[in-house]
Amino acid sequence: MPDRRAETLLRAMAAGSIGRREFARRALAIGVSATTIAGWLAACRPVGDGLAPAARAARDAAEALEPLGPIEHRLAIYNWSDYVAPDTIPNFAREFGVRVTYDVYESNEELLAKLLAGARGYDVVFPSSYALSVLVATGLAGSLHRAYLTNWGNVAPLFLNPGFDPGNAHSVPWQWGITGLAYRSDKVETPESWGVLQSRRYAGKMTQLDDGRDVIGSWLRYRGHSLNSRDQIELAAAKNDAISAKRNLRAYLSAPVKGQLISGDVWIAQLWNGDATQARVEQPAIQYAIPREGSTIWADNVVMPRSAPHPRAAHEFMNYILRPEVGAAISDFTGYGTPNAKALARMEHPVPYPTPDQLRRLEYQIDLGRETAEWDQLWTEIKSA
Amino acid sequence: MTALDMPPQAAGPRSAPGNGLRRRALAWLAPRPQAQAWTLLAPGTVWMLGFFLVPVIVMCAYSVMPRGEYGGVDPGFTIEAYTRFLHPVYLTILERTFVLAVATTVLSALAGYPVAYTIARSGRWKSLLLFLVVLPFWTSFLVRTFAMIFLMRDTGLINSWLIAAGLRQEPIPMLYTPFSVLAGLVYGYLPFMVLPIYASLEKLDPALLEAAEVLGARPAARFRRVTLPLSAPGLIAGCLLVFIPSLGSYLTSDLLGGAKELLIGNLVQNQFSTARNWPFGSAASFILMIVVLAAVLVYLRLRPPDTVRGW
Amino acid sequence: MGASGIGKLPRWLVAFTAVCLFLMHLPVLVLIVFSFNASKFAVTWTGFTLAWYRRLLERDDILHALQASLIVGITATAIAVTLGTLIALALARHRFRGRTIYEGMMYVPIVTPEIVTGISLLVLFVFLRMPLGLATIIIAHVAFCVPFVVVVVVARLAGMDENLEEAAMTLGADEVTTFFRVTLPLLWPGILSAALLSFILSFDDFVITSLVAGSGSSTLPLVIYSMVRRNIEPSINAISALIVVATSVLLYVSDRMSRRNEPSHA
Repeated sequence: MPDRRAETLLRAMAAGSIGRREFARRALAIGVSATTIAGWLAACRPVGDGLAPAARAARDAAEALEPLGPIEHRLAIYNWSDYVAPDTIPNFAREFGVRVTYDVYESNEELLAKLLAGARGYDVVFPSSYALSVLVATGLAGSLHRAYLTNWGNVAPLFLNPGFDPGNAHSVPWQWGITGLAYRSDKVETPESWGVLQSRRYAGKMTQLDDGRDVIGSWLRYRGHSLNSRDQIELAAAKNDAISAKRNLRAYLSAPVKGQLISGDVWIAQLWNGDATQARVEQPAIQYAIPREGSTIWADNVVMPRSAPHPRAAHEFMNYILRPEVGAAISDFTGYGTPNAKALARMEHPVPYPTPDQLRRLEYQIDLGRETAEWDQLWTEIKSA
Repeated sequence: MTALDMPPQAAGPRSAPGNGLRRRALAWLAPRPQAQAWTLLAPGTVWMLGFFLVPVIVMCAYSVMPRGEYGGVDPGFTIEAYTRFLHPVYLTILERTFVLAVATTVLSALAGYPVAYTIARSGRWKSLLLFLVVLPFWTSFLVRTFAMIFLMRDTGLINSWLIAAGLRQEPIPMLYTPFSVLAGLVYGYLPFMVLPIYASLEKLDPALLEAAEVLGARPAARFRRVTLPLSAPGLIAGCLLVFIPSLGSYLTSDLLGGAKELLIGNLVQNQFSTARNWPFGSAASFILMIVVLAAVLVYLRLRPPDTVRGW
Repeated sequence: MGASGIGKLPRWLVAFTAVCLFLMHLPVLVLIVFSFNASKFAVTWTGFTLAWYRRLLERDDILHALQASLIVGITATAIAVTLGTLIALALARHRFRGRTIYEGMMYVPIVTPEIVTGISLLVLFVFLRMPLGLATIIIAHVAFCVPFVVVVVVARLAGMDENLEEAAMTLGADEVTTFFRVTLPLLWPGILSAALLSFILSFDDFVITSLVAGSGSSTLPLVIYSMVRRNIEPSINAISALIVVATSVLLYVSDRMSRRNEPSHA
């Protein structure tokens, strides 16, 4: 970052010799990112605090460069369960002298319910892409100060500027994965299509995730439609497919299916690739396939809620997990892909980025807005069938 | 704070010094029984109004407002949530929940009555047996559910034993069936059935049975004509205590039923999480509460006036 | 029942009861046994180990959650027992307008599905802008424990001889003295069992707690739930075994205590 020139600009703006728009134009010209400029401008908002103009200018300039002040002594993390390496948090706490509170949730909805209801107190949360777009749309996601994220350059280009958070203004990519079929290679043949769930062959030994988005999405893909479809006819077909698969399904199971794959209660399960990798540690016969009709790719992201009580510690944490060795340790433990290109090179079991051919068959879930209730009614009808 | 709230050491004889305030308070309260009662009631009542009644009223208001796009509600008035409930799929859920709750209640009564009867007449074994009935009730609900999964899986204990003993070639599918949900509910709520029946059988005057015997009634007739009617209040209370939580249960059908069927509890839960339809969730809650309150009213009608308060 | 004993009952009835009691305890007993099993997944016995218990002690989140559960359980019980006993005294010992309605209303929270109570409290806390945490959990737990305390204590008061209190008053003791010297000692077993009930309801609650918990306030059931959802490790068998043993001891001790204090069979 061209510090000297930026500081001169900031002082000029704080002293009132250039306007905000002019400041933004010149800052862009010297290579400061738009997000950072927005952060500076927000920090330089004039306030009637009775300070002498010169003193205020000096303070504003200092704040613009250090908008968050010194690191706080606490950090409250709210993450999915089993979604970080065992030593990540203790090492961070030791290095930065921060006391970390760590709570877990089991679904995006649980996280959204808490945050949408207005819960405060969390500094760092880990929504998936569609949940993140809800947080952005409702103004609950805090803006990031890129100046603190000195390791930002490690992020692979594939994960920069995603559709659900343009310019990564609110999020740092955390882990990415694919929802496909995990199977016991010692019991069944490789399932190549979602259609395997409709055949009686392995009836009672198969499961789908307990999540309407994932179940209906898989059957939309099966017929070649988008898994974010809002088309009534496509959705009706997906519902019928889901119902005809239901009689072969043992259950709708999410995380607990890992244990049942290992024990052999379940042979084919719709599951996330990383959980399948975790299960393979215990049972080497567990393999993973992406059905040829395509499936969901998702990325979970580190987000600081706007109400975060310890924003500087949150930024330090995000920057910390962007370190290559830290990112590699996390992904080696979770079994998911890392969006961190430098970390990927250091992983023991790297998950390669999807090829262009695979990417064509993979789709991100987007938030359905008001259609959410209609999808839920479909899901209710499937369950009641 | 009330006069009665004072710590024990403050309670001395009437003439103790420094009790002027208390004396005056008691003197004021003495001729005012209403005030006495409400002094005792006030703290608890305020708490329950603030943290039970007010939230329920807020929910009631939510159920007649338009839903917000991201959860919550928008300003306005609509009864859409209630009309939506008339869709066949939701009525099916209500019906299924009701049938399951009735089945749970009947099975619990069939199993619970003989157990309670035996305990009431077990003499010196009584306290041990009661302890055994109550113990699972005190054990964490999640732990008990997990234990059921452990037993009933295809590769669980029961199936491994059956196969090892050569009784079966293939495991019997037990987990994630309607059977496992029913078993889980009965297992969970059986103590609620046994205890009230036991309490009413315990109070039964043996002289009545002796009288019936003297008058020539056979054992079956003695049971049908004397024991059963006199223990009816306990049986009814037990049924209510099993029926109500069964209606509202949702974790059991998720964890033991494999989430393959929805109960009304799951429906409510989903509306506040995945569906983000708070008005509909509130309306479903209210319909559930009304069913429950109707059951309580039926109970209060059936309950003879002389039953001991409480259960 | 006066002249009775287990020997006089029909054989099939005793057998049926024995089977029922056995089935009621089987799942948890099996869990306890297998918490010492060396194999991680198999339901066959592969050897004795304490490894799963050792692993529990290494998990900070479990110890932290236990601490949170104890704080919540003890505080909520203390408040709920105080408020509930006062209400019970008013209901059992005083005549006031609206008493029957009031008593009926006490049953409403008991019969309200937990999910409804939980969601409505979450809505209220958010509306009041109260930060979610231990305080909100305690408030919620008190709200669902008070009615249970009232029911238990009222039942105890109903079985108590009011003449003793009247005698004390006749002998010159005022209401307060009578309460602390006569009523309270007699009521003690009822209060104790109400406290026990309230503590265990609080300690075991998952549904309501999960809704009103905030950052750093996860209680034991919340941690157990995320373990049950994954059900991979026998550590959960170990923690279950510990909870079962601890509650049995607690229950047994309180049973002894209330028996000793019991002046006569109510």
